[in-house]
Amino acid sequence: MTNTRIPDVRPKQPTAARSAPVAAPRPSARDRGTRLLATLFLAPTIVGIVVFTVVPIVGSVVLSLFHWNVIDSPSFAGAANYREVFGDSTVLVSFRNTLVFMVFAVALQLLIALVLALAVNGRMPVWLRSVFRSAFFFPLVLSAASISVVMKYLFNQDFGVVNWLLGLVGFAPVPWLTSENAAMATVILVYVWQQFGFSFLLFVGGLNNIPKEIHEAASLDGATGLRKHLTITLPLLSPTLLVASVVGIINALQVFEQPYVLTNGGPGDSTRTVVMVIYESAFEQLRFGEASAVGVLLFVLIMAVTALQFRLSRRFVHYQ
Amino acid sequence: MTDSHLTRRTLLRYGAYGAGAAALAGTAASWDRLTGADIPGRDDGSLVVATLGPAYGPEAIRTLTEGFKRVHPDIKLRINAVQAVDWSDFFAKILTQIAAGTAPDLVYVATEGVQLFAQRLGVPLDRWVKRDAEELREYFADVHPSLVESMMYEGSLYQLPVEFNAADIYLNNQVLKRAGADFPAADWTRDDFTALLRDMKRASGSQFTPYFWTNRLWGGVVPWLFANDTNLLTESKAPGGAWLWDSFYPAAERAGRGGGFRWTTPQADHARVEEAYDYLASLIEEDLCNRPEGGNGQNLIGVFSTGRVGVTPAGGFWAGGLHLAGMKAGGFDTQYFPRWRTQRMQFGAAGYALLRTSKRQEEAWEFIKYAARRDTLMRLFNTNQTTPARRSMLTADRYRETGPDRWQVFYDTLDKFPDTGPIPAPPQVAEVEQVLLKHTGTALASRRAVAPALRRMQSDLEKAMERDV
Repeated sequence: MTNTRIPDVRPKQPTAARSAPVAAPRPSARDRGTRLLATLFLAPTIVGIVVFTVVPIVGSVVLSLFHWNVIDSPSFAGAANYREVFGDSTVLVSFRNTLVFMVFAVALQLLIALVLALAVNGRMPVWLRSVFRSAFFFPLVLSAASISVVMKYLFNQDFGVVNWLLGLVGFAPVPWLTSENAAMATVILVYVWQQFGFSFLLFVGGLNNIPKEIHEAASLDGATGLRKHLTITLPLLSPTLLVASVVGIINALQVFEQPYVLTNGGPGDSTRTVVMVIYESAFEQLRFGEASAVGVLLFVLIMAVTALQFRLSRRFVHYQ
Repeated sequence: MTDSHLTRRTLLRYGAYGAGAAALAGTAASWDRLTGADIPGRDDGSLVVATLGPAYGPEAIRTLTEGFKRVHPDIKLRINAVQAVDWSDFFAKILTQIAAGTAPDLVYVATEGVQLFAQRLGVPLDRWVKRDAEELREYFADVHPSLVESMMYEGSLYQLPVEFNAADIYLNNQVLKRAGADFPAADWTRDDFTALLRDMKRASGSQFTPYFWTNRLWGGVVPWLFANDTNLLTESKAPGGAWLWDSFYPAAERAGRGGGFRWTTPQADHARVEEAYDYLASLIEEDLCNRPEGGNGQNLIGVFSTGRVGVTPAGGFWAGGLHLAGMKAGGFDTQYFPRWRTQRMQFGAAGYALLRTSKRQEEAWEFIKYAARRDTLMRLFNTNQTTPARRSMLTADRYRETGPDRWQVFYDTLDKFPDTGPIPAPPQVAEVEQVLLKHTGTALASRRAVAPALRRMQSDLEKAMERDV
């Protein structure tokens, strides 16, 4: 993708207008009333964000500096929890697993969603399009834990339907969940199957917003199907791709239910993710300080990855 | 941006904001910490008992509350059935309640959590047991001392066991018949066991798993460690406990008893531990058993009852489970775990632990006694969903409908094998269990993987045991 074909046509503010100091006029009584009303409307959201997001984040940062086992009073630990975390091979492996999971799961999720969105957006009866849209989105409305329980049965090496079907065509049973190599792939597969519906809907919406005239003009100029997708569809869909990838990556970095139910992090640590480590440290081993330290590191990782995405988006995302 | 002159009016406004914020901060700082108990209606003066939800359905809860109300009309009782998939999940939820300031008075605790609760949260029952010794004499006479000892910690008793489950072997009779094999004798050996699995495999084909087990602390690798006369952690007895043994048990039964079990030094790299893992790895290699699978064996009932599994370790709880799954009483039977170097078997027990934070300790003790009564347990365990801790409750009549025919095996695992003991569950049990499950998964990838995985297990267990809970 390059930005030479689709010029950035967003209105730009004149530099002078941004830099010149302007004395703000004294707000009238009506303006003050409007501001008060706006504040009242925003208040529930702001209170919600403060109570359920800001306070827990600050709380986690503070707790990461303490030893706390729920039973006794917290004791100040300074950076000891962070030192412990960096010296714990399980934590480091969980970060590696989570990053591997994120890369493959998000790439696969976006690819499948995009291909299916392009296919569904092609020529087909309206009713069939609706059926596909509903079918692809349906797994997303189910709980990840219940899907994982069902998938655990399906992928069971000895009694699962998947291996039974493979057996009918002569394949040996595959240890989907009990071998280190296959387990992560299976967890990714289950996650992507459930999650791609969200990206799919975004892409369908994004494709519908691309003016048909651009495609028609390209066809008149002799562009073929694949070329049209690469030079027109993808650049114009790039803002949607950005949103889908940002949401996808944030969700993937917080994956918990699928590995917890399917493999419980095993075999060994091969599918143990960061959020699983947080859960185990806090609620099974009563090390809330260490769990918070891992949580803070995950928060920093998510912020860094998201910031990097937005930074890169300046080069690769094109707005009409 | 705005007028930089600070007017008197602005100054007054910001002053008022500052005073308001300071007042709010002061008020917040002067308040006691709010807890879940401060929510109106939460603390209604009831004695709150937390039980494992799936084991205590609405009918069981009604039985407990209505029966208790008849005996103690003055004590208000509330059963909090905590929904959890296993004991580890249950403890996590109880600890969350404690963190939220809504700790129950009593918690139903299994062997996995006995020492953790005793060390950090529990109240010893010694003074009440001594006070009500006459009333309890009949209870102790009916309960095997190994179960009682498993509820002791450093010389004190923390729970009265009401149920237990030992890892015995369940065999599918239809599969045995298909293999043309006889039902194994009580003193069968590990080699007999292996030969039986081979016979079953030959007769039942590739889609069949002769031996199925679940990778967990209870009933996973541990029964094989016990059979091979070893354990994951060194096992010894704490001193003390004579006050109880001398009062309630005859000399023959109290011999060798102490103040509870101590599991201290990890020994995962011990030769016998390696031998047990190597044996399981060889069974996997020969396709005689499944690879270690996590979870709680939920899918096992279905595959066992339909003859796709021949043999599995389970406790008395499975008799009720198989019956509910539609298996006829004659469709399966039980036998002791096979002998290797010994025929020592493992069990887990459960009872009610009294929390230090409880303000109703006398009432709680009355509930503990009520919950251990024979008539209460008869009503509570009427579907054979577990093995009652009271020996007298295990009768032919109880197992007539559900099976198995050899129901005596359940309690004889204790009576005929007095060295049968609890699964290793020190206060650091959560981490120990996690390490065990993690490295068992990798150790059994192949026979060559056993030794390196056990060395890593040993190292992780040492770290886990060094930690203060």
